[in-house]
Amino acid sequence: MVLDPAGPFAGPIETVAWVLFVMAGVVLALVLAALGVALFGPRPWRQRVGAERLVWVGGLAFPVVVLTGLLIYGLSTTAKLSAEPRPGEMRIRVTGEMWWWRVAYLDERGREVLQDANEIRIPVGRPVVLELESADVIHSFWAPRLGGKTDMIPGRRNFMRLQADAPGDYQGQCAEYCGGPHALMGLTVVALEPERFAAWRQMQAQEAKPVAAPQTAPLIERGRQVFDASGCGACHTIRGTDANGLAGPDLTHVGGRRTLGAGILPNNQGTLAGWIADSQGIKPGNRMPSYPVLSGRDLRAVAAYLDSLK
Amino acid sequence: MTAPLLLAACVDKADLPRPVAQGDPLEGLAVIRQSGCSVCHAVPGVAWPKGRSAGDLAGFGAKPLIAGRLPNQPEILMRWVIDAPSLDPDTAMPPFALTRDQARHVAAYLYSLDDQ
Amino acid sequence: MNGDPGLDPEIYERFPTKGRRPRDELKTLEAVWCGPTKPWEWITAINNNFVGVYYVGAAMLFFVLAGVLALLMRTQLALPMTGFLAQETYNQIFTMHGTVMMFLFAVPAVEALGVLLLPQMLGARDLPFPRLSAYAFWAYLVGGLSFFCSLFFGLAPNGGWFMYPPLTGTTYSPGINADFWLLGIGFIEISAIAGAIEIIVGVLKTRAPGMTLDKLPIFAWAMLIFACMIVIAFPSVILSTLLLELERALGWPFFDAAKGGDPLLWQHLFWFFGHPEVYIIFLPAAGAMSTIIPAVAQTRLVGHRLVVMAMLATGFISFGVWAHHMFTTGMPRLSINYFSAASAAVSVPAGVQVFAWIATLAAGKMRFNTPGLFAVGGLVIFVMGGLTGVMVAMVPFDWQAHDSYFIVAHLHYVLIGGMVFPLFAAIYYWLPMSSRRPLSERWGKWIFWLMFIGHNVTFMPMHLSGLMGMPRRVYTYLPDRGWELPNLISTFGSFLFGLAVMLWIIDMIRNFRPFGDKEAGNLFNGPGLEWLPAGFYSLRSIPVITSLYPVWEQKGLGRDVAAGRYLLPGAPRGERETIVTSPITAQPQYLLRMPRPSSWHVWGAVFTAGFFLILTVQAYVAAVVSGILAVYCLWEWAWRLDRPHRAATADVGGGVRLPTSVSGPMSHGWWAMVITLTVSGMVAVMAGFSYVFLWSRRPDLWRAPPDAASLLITLGLLAACALGAFGSVRSLKGARPSLAAALMLTASLAAAAAFAVEAGAWWSSGLRPDANSQGATVFALLAWQGVFAGIGLLMGLFALMRRLFGLVTPDRPATFELIGLFLGYTAAQGAASLLLVRLLPGGGA
Repeated sequence: MVLDPAGPFAGPIETVAWVLFVMAGVVLALVLAALGVALFGPRPWRQRVGAERLVWVGGLAFPVVVLTGLLIYGLSTTAKLSAEPRPGEMRIRVTGEMWWWRVAYLDERGREVLQDANEIRIPVGRPVVLELESADVIHSFWAPRLGGKTDMIPGRRNFMRLQADAPGDYQGQCAEYCGGPHALMGLTVVALEPERFAAWRQMQAQEAKPVAAPQTAPLIERGRQVFDASGCGACHTIRGTDANGLAGPDLTHVGGRRTLGAGILPNNQGTLAGWIADSQGIKPGNRMPSYPVLSGRDLRAVAAYLDSLK
Repeated sequence: MTAPLLLAACVDKADLPRPVAQGDPLEGLAVIRQSGCSVCHAVPGVAWPKGRSAGDLAGFGAKPLIAGRLPNQPEILMRWVIDAPSLDPDTAMPPFALTRDQARHVAAYLYSLDDQ
Repeated sequence: MNGDPGLDPEIYERFPTKGRRPRDELKTLEAVWCGPTKPWEWITAINNNFVGVYYVGAAMLFFVLAGVLALLMRTQLALPMTGFLAQETYNQIFTMHGTVMMFLFAVPAVEALGVLLLPQMLGARDLPFPRLSAYAFWAYLVGGLSFFCSLFFGLAPNGGWFMYPPLTGTTYSPGINADFWLLGIGFIEISAIAGAIEIIVGVLKTRAPGMTLDKLPIFAWAMLIFACMIVIAFPSVILSTLLLELERALGWPFFDAAKGGDPLLWQHLFWFFGHPEVYIIFLPAAGAMSTIIPAVAQTRLVGHRLVVMAMLATGFISFGVWAHHMFTTGMPRLSINYFSAASAAVSVPAGVQVFAWIATLAAGKMRFNTPGLFAVGGLVIFVMGGLTGVMVAMVPFDWQAHDSYFIVAHLHYVLIGGMVFPLFAAIYYWLPMSSRRPLSERWGKWIFWLMFIGHNVTFMPMHLSGLMGMPRRVYTYLPDRGWELPNLISTFGSFLFGLAVMLWIIDMIRNFRPFGDKEAGNLFNGPGLEWLPAGFYSLRSIPVITSLYPVWEQKGLGRDVAAGRYLLPGAPRGERETIVTSPITAQPQYLLRMPRPSSWHVWGAVFTAGFFLILTVQAYVAAVVSGILAVYCLWEWAWRLDRPHRAATADVGGGVRLPTSVSGPMSHGWWAMVITLTVSGMVAVMAGFSYVFLWSRRPDLWRAPPDAASLLITLGLLAACALGAFGSVRSLKGARPSLAAALMLTASLAAAAAFAVEAGAWWSSGLRPDANSQGATVFALLAWQGVFAGIGLLMGLFALMRRLFGLVTPDRPATFELIGLFLGYTAAQGAASLLLVRLLPGGGA
């Protein structure tokens, strides 16, 4: 919600919005009042309104004054919100793909050190620079409570800043029509307390390590085998295993994500299984084929395996 | 027109499971949404997704069996919802981290789905 | 030289003439202008009383069709994640809704209104090129219907009405859906340009004597500015569709970033057209408002001059705001600031008009009839859309609002308030002019209130859903975001709107009776010439105008006009003809002989539409056959023009004699050719912009041009072309028609040779059009030049054939003059584009 900002790159826009609403309300009231007099007013009033002076004052002078004021205000806010990225700021590269988000955390030298998808974790109270790119068509990054939107254009790199002032999940969605299931290309910005963010980041940097209770271990091992045998690794990477495909989201820590299918489903073993079995039924047109051929036990095993990758 | 139908429905229901004691169907629906059951099952009352990879749950309360093999009784259903593989090792339905109370609500909701 | 020559206004004092007119004069006039008598003559008819009505009717048909699509979308979006429409279907439907509304409804509708109303308003018998408007209409109808039908085969475009590449490139849109858009729309734009040429020449050259620019009806002003804007803006979208189609069909990388293209080039080209397009739609509707409001208030428009200035200002400023659709693309801040300021500025002239309307309503006394209600309702809605427009001109706010439902709300407020409501006002206001019965006032009020409430219920909640984060162009949305309620309300409202339109259709069926002998007439006591008694020949005689509101202020005008006491009271030569006047002061210049109904332009339109549409389905042989047939039809059409007249002058009443033919800048043909060449020039300029833009993006890809020797040869040949064309016209005027024909043919050959040499030089330099952006843009410029060389060659041949058939005489040099103009332009365009691509990389890297 634009009018419920949660950070310093959305707050000023909310203020601008309210200023504009008030302006629009006042102007509309004035126009309607003039129109009301013109249509229903007593004769002397109408005569006063029905002169060319009204056109000069109401149509020309008044708008010029109001617009000049608004423009100066708008441009100064623009300047405040759109400073170029500086060295030393934390950077995350977000690449728009049909129809999900590839997320990479960069180190100080701009190298990608962490891969993730559809979720952007940021520490609260600190601006983060997003490097926005596209792998295919034009997408647009938009998390309304944290700021405006910025397009992701093939062959270009755009920047924007995000900052959340309180921990929480902030919904976002692709805002530029990108074909097919554009409507289902969601994302979540997860703002964490700095220490929790640091912990998460450290954990995320590690290779895949299934978290399993002793009794589920065989099932999870079976899931890993089915994952390999079904060729899932051709599109997905799980660091620390043979799966090194790049077409789809990195699954090294997929079990730790909050959502599935680019921000559209809750993430648990059940939804993982359902997604694998029929991703085309749930999000028609997406790039992952449905795998209805897996047996019930195998499907459950794969889901358990993925879910264990916290 | 409707009276005979209603009557027929009552007759059908005669030896079917009673609604689950202390189960709140509305709570159950909320749990169903949160857990994403409808990713695999079409669940009446959940607009989306309408999963196709597992059984349609419309009219579930009137069905004699769970998953085609287990008797449709509240206690079994609650166990099934929490840990289906323990009842049927070949099922695709994974265990869900639900409390017994949550499972009871879910069962209550599912048994409310008896009028086709 | 007098800039605006014509008969001296002193002759106006002879009118109205005294005495009775010859008895059979009216009969001849009626016979010459008679309407269709046989069934197929309804199709070959070219008179604006027919074509104009067809045209408005077709536009309203597309309005209803696109409206049905809107209802389908609203049904899908009523609830979250419904399955009413499949994703792909929805994507096609929303693409078609926007495309059809913009290209097949809005622009044609206002153009149609112009074709229907302008001749009567200006006191002309018809527009100067009636066959051209008929051609434009048939091409539009055939092309538009076929385009729409692609929906029924699942082949409709699905890339959005803005068609952003790379989504619409072959990689991501491999089907022919996108080609339907590109060819279908590219071609409908040509029809729009044909209409624009007609309107410009019509408004400037076929006004009643004395109708100086300060007495030009405000609607005609609006149409004039509208048509000029089309001429400037549409070339940009024609070029962009051509480029994208070239990229799709032949792999020329204009927008493919991997090969040096840039997706943003499309956005610049598209919005350079797309934003003026909004004002292109709005201005004629505003002109209609400025006509209707004085009529419903029964007083002169307050601030007439200011309103004219405001419309002119809108036209100018609207070409400087296109990039406000691109605030989120990461443009440099300086550009953003400029476009933000310009976008705010463009609302000022709109404000001037709004307050002029309010002042007019206050100065007179509003009569609450249906046209008045629609006008006032449109005003209110438009003001609200204008205010949200100011909001999104503020960049930070736009970053949030852009591509969200807030914009959907904004644009519908602007377009429905600024165009649809005025159009309905216009329909209710002017319908009695062409129908025997008016529409029902009682129904009209119901329809207005339903539509007004329906509009607000539909679009007001969208402001909210947009601010709540709902993006545009989504086929569905997830539950639990709080978007359900506003969407449900919107859907409810949309059906109220739909109900209003349905009631209107029923009332049209009940009451609309056009093409009869009698019309309902001036029910609203309008002040314009269109309200004088008229037949298919328009006014019985063309009056001398001394007032901006002639019917109100020139006493006895209707009686004298109907009695034939003004100019051209009959058809002195038994032909369809009208008086051509000078563009500024409207002094009579000559008598224009107009074409009669014909089937060539109809077939020409069918085959032109066929060419483009068959090309889409990749049946190349059939497409070429259709193309050749189209050219043949156009040739036959042109061949019948510019025939010798029996007498050099003709009596137009009151003893005034007018020449029957002129050539050069005084003639309507010269104007039309100059405007056509302006369109071509704009395409070339935009192509040049594309070249520079892509070069600035990736100068590293640019290689050196071919050696300078070929450049000199080409320039020499182009100079020969220009000189030959010039010499040809001179020698024709010097009574040497054979030499003239030979020179013209030589000139056209020189242009073709220049093209061949230049294309050869680039090809042998090793540059390939599909290699990178330099190749693509250089060969695109070459191809554009090649098209002109080809048409030039046809024209050279045409000139030769005219000579062989003895149709070339020194006293009628018009055809040769026009061909000469065309070839001269071709030479200039060739030289300019040549120098650009040869010199810009600075000798190559």
